[in-house]
Amino acid sequence: MTALSAIALSEDRRARAAALVQDRGLPHRRIEEWKYSDLRAVLGEAGLSAVVAQYLIRNLPHGMDVWDLSRPDAPAWVTDNFARETGNTMNAASLAVADAGIALRVPAGMAIDDPLKLDFTGAGHVRALLVVEAGASLNLVEGVVAADFRNVGFEIALGEGARLEHVRICPALDGAVLVEEAAVRIAAGATYRGHFTGFGARLSRMELEIALEGTGAQAHLSGVALLDGRHSDITTHVSHLVGDTHSSQLFKHVAAGKGRAVYQGKVTVAKGANGADSSQTAKALLLGDAAEADLKPELEIFADDVKCAHGAAVGDLDAESLFYLRARGIPEAQARRMLLQAFLEDAVAEVGHAESREMARTELLAALEKVA
Amino acid sequence: MSSAAQKETRKAVAELGDKYKYGFVTDIEMERAPKGLSEDTVRYISAKKGEPEWMLEWRLAAFRRWVQMKEPDWARVHYPKIDYQNAYYYAAPKSTPLKQSLDEVDPKLLETYNKLGIPLHEQMALAGVAVDAVFDSVSVATTFKEKLNQAGVIFCPISEAIRDYPDLVKKYLGTVVPVTDNFFATLNSAVFSDGTFVYVPKGVRCPMELSTYFRINASETGQFERTLIVADEGSYVSYLEGCTAPKRDENQLHAAVVELVALDDAEIKYSTVQNWYPGDEDGKGGIYNFVTKRGDCRGRKSKISWTQVETGSAITWKYPSCILRGDDSVGEFYSIAIANHFQQADTGTKMIHLGRNTKSRIISKGISAGKAQNTYRGLVSVYGKAQNARNYTQCDSLLIGGECGAHTVPYIESRNPSARIEHEATTSKIAEDQLFYCLQRGIPQDEAVSLIVNGFCKEVLQQLPMEFAVEAQKLVGISLEGSVG
Amino acid sequence: MLEIKNLHVAVDGKEILKGLTLSIGAGEVHAIMGPNGSGKSTLSYTLAGRAGYDITDGSILYKGEDLAAMPPEERAAKGVFLAMQYPVEIPGVTTMTFLKTALNSQRRARGQSDLDAVGVLKLVRAKAKALNVSEEMLKRALNVGFSGGEKKRLETLQMALFEPSLAILDETDSGLDIDALRLVAEGVNALRDPARAMLVITHYQRLLDYIVPDRIHVLAKGRIVAEGGKELALELEAKGYEHIVGQAA
Repeated sequence: MTALSAIALSEDRRARAAALVQDRGLPHRRIEEWKYSDLRAVLGEAGLSAVVAQYLIRNLPHGMDVWDLSRPDAPAWVTDNFARETGNTMNAASLAVADAGIALRVPAGMAIDDPLKLDFTGAGHVRALLVVEAGASLNLVEGVVAADFRNVGFEIALGEGARLEHVRICPALDGAVLVEEAAVRIAAGATYRGHFTGFGARLSRMELEIALEGTGAQAHLSGVALLDGRHSDITTHVSHLVGDTHSSQLFKHVAAGKGRAVYQGKVTVAKGANGADSSQTAKALLLGDAAEADLKPELEIFADDVKCAHGAAVGDLDAESLFYLRARGIPEAQARRMLLQAFLEDAVAEVGHAESREMARTELLAALEKVA
Repeated sequence: MSSAAQKETRKAVAELGDKYKYGFVTDIEMERAPKGLSEDTVRYISAKKGEPEWMLEWRLAAFRRWVQMKEPDWARVHYPKIDYQNAYYYAAPKSTPLKQSLDEVDPKLLETYNKLGIPLHEQMALAGVAVDAVFDSVSVATTFKEKLNQAGVIFCPISEAIRDYPDLVKKYLGTVVPVTDNFFATLNSAVFSDGTFVYVPKGVRCPMELSTYFRINASETGQFERTLIVADEGSYVSYLEGCTAPKRDENQLHAAVVELVALDDAEIKYSTVQNWYPGDEDGKGGIYNFVTKRGDCRGRKSKISWTQVETGSAITWKYPSCILRGDDSVGEFYSIAIANHFQQADTGTKMIHLGRNTKSRIISKGISAGKAQNTYRGLVSVYGKAQNARNYTQCDSLLIGGECGAHTVPYIESRNPSARIEHEATTSKIAEDQLFYCLQRGIPQDEAVSLIVNGFCKEVLQQLPMEFAVEAQKLVGISLEGSVG
Repeated sequence: MLEIKNLHVAVDGKEILKGLTLSIGAGEVHAIMGPNGSGKSTLSYTLAGRAGYDITDGSILYKGEDLAAMPPEERAAKGVFLAMQYPVEIPGVTTMTFLKTALNSQRRARGQSDLDAVGVLKLVRAKAKALNVSEEMLKRALNVGFSGGEKKRLETLQMALFEPSLAILDETDSGLDIDALRLVAEGVNALRDPARAMLVITHYQRLLDYIVPDRIHVLAKGRIVAEGGKELALELEAKGYEHIVGQAA
């Protein structure tokens, strides 16, 4: 408990995080943002116990700096970016409890092709920080390993003109309760691309808090949830804090069996952020009588010269298309898989990193064999 | 912009304080309940209405529940804490209540409604529109009663219905909005004073538009009306309400409950032109409009359609909703919400799909200007048994100026694989080139804004009964005057 | 009709017109030609009173009145019409509604009574036919989904409808094929009138084959650099702007 507080985290900061958690308690369905993901119901109060999860670096590209957050006397690039103030209960919870964590940096101007592969493992809370300095670029492939309960507090900072692609593929984890918050700050001219494909868990919540802080900053989010039973919740909040910033979101969900697919996306355009451009699309298909999809695409606009649109749809496979394929001799199950694959493909195609994209496709295909 | 145009705009803005043309006060002697809210207040109101015992008990149960409830805080509206003990819950002109003929109505009241553009003398009244006029806590006149009686339609103040048609009222009151539904609905259940009751019998197409004009006149007084409309099998009724209030520096509470019940093959069309006093350009005064409206499509192939034009009130908090219980039933919500200066609107709808083949349609147009905040909040929920349910939602926001806010909070929940739900939302502003184009063709600024906004709202305006569409269009223009400068 | 003297106009603090002088009498048709960026559109927007076009020096007298002091709608009511290069789309407002509103606004400003819907419709129909503007077009939202030709025909229809004293045609030929151009030009020519002045702004000589001007002014770098009769257009066509602008400089 004290190791982390002795270095990058002051006692004061930790105490404030703990107070926030104390004040709010575990999120539950009567808290508006957790309406569709009742964490308290699945965990009881056990979730806030001070257990520590771990991280595992599977591939560290040459040229990156690494800092173990439990070491004393952290360098400036860590202290400047770590443990920013947050109003997020679960993010605060990991700050208050975690004593394991990792900080990584791509130094200014360095373009790295070799992906950084980072996994989170074990039960409990863990922290991570990734800094991509000005003009640098990186591919991050995040892996998820089963755990009864894990809460990851991830901070990401992109310097001016930096680029990061963040791909997270989460396998089907029946008994697991997984919560992760990624707080991403994007400076002028920098681009963050995030892709989140998941197959669900007992409760799975991926929360993205994106701040477009400088002119020309961009965030492009995409994802797929394919659930044969289980639960998946993608919650995003994209803040256009200044003008001439750009964001897009494309999420496709398929729920079969007792699957429950949740998408909550909020886009905020701050006062005076003229020229902000945001689009948001969320679509879901239900394949079973017990499946459920919940979508909440939210807009919060305080500037008038903006382009903001969102679209959401829930439905079934298009009957006419299905008939057409079958009339040409394709068996129904295969025709359904084709249409489902087509439905998901544009979100998968958003992944720039070829290896990750193929991995997502392969796993989706395998899962489709089971649901359709 | 040329200096002449700027001067013109400044003048328009300066005059805006005078633009609320319904802001006058009628000087008439009033009878009020003692200030504050207690069981005694509830008993006082019930006694004033000459209500039967069961009604009093119903109210008291609501009051006891209300005392334990918490005011909701989830909407995007901010206001100082309301002191519920510092208001009057019943105010009625001394000369009333309830005259058998219009000739007995206090001429001052008739004059008030004339000034509002609502002539109550039948020979002068709008062709084919029957009016119930509610002044503060009581209904002062209901027109065309006889003609409606001939068709079997009951159209009367709800206080009268409680006495004359207790079985109908007992059967339906509180069945759509339960007494304990929410803080404001429960408050209303305890202290409602009047409102309109409509019953359209089996197979009857109501021969004329029905309408109620609500007028708040007394100061420090809340208005709590209750409306209950029942459309029996195969019937049809179109109903419109209009609302105005004097200009005052204080905030006044209006907490209404409206319940609609549509049985098999019945249709109810409910339109609102809400023009309560919105407060002045500095955000002082205005009505708090906290309203619960819900329709129950109880029967097969029933239909309930809400249309609202919300231009008034300092704060609007209302979500006219449809429970689509009957198979093949249809719910619609068409809304224009305009918020200017410091107005706050948090409005939308809930479409609850329970039955098979139920359909709903939501068209919402929100316009924000000045320093106003305008929120669309909606829920489309499809339950497991709602086979082939369909919803289409379109939410458009228009911003005028960079100081206001436009927000969209749609909840979409589906539990049936054959259901289809589509939601689209856009945000736009009045473009400088659109305005200039109009100005160049000789259309003055305010009229140009009105023209463009009316175009933006067209799909909703078209839903209003023709008699009121023109009025609503003008209102859209007036409420935005001086918003572009 | 129109007297422009030493007009200086700045947009976003940058001077675009730098001492333009021009005079058009009633019944005359003048053309302004000039290369891209010479200030042609700035002139037309300034005459119509668009915000952001700041007159820093000089004067514009229209029928003896100071045009610069009037808001755009007042100029329109007094007979200044600008046919725009890119007519604006306004969703949800039908063309007919727009025409009626504009017509009656102008009438009101002139102290005339409103025309009722039937009156406006009659008037519009009478003018629409010649310009091949269909009933269906009038029912559609203003300019939304209109082709380039449809938009320009509608601009010409408005000009016929409002009967301006001073018509300014800004790049009316842009986006038009030859048939559409001929139709629009015929419409414009039909409006030539001893009481009406026209200012045709164009980059190309082509339009002036159809709308023959009495006088041509060449605008370059914010000033009139050459003037002449209709033959000047042919000279420009043959030798290019470079030649004439270069000579003047």
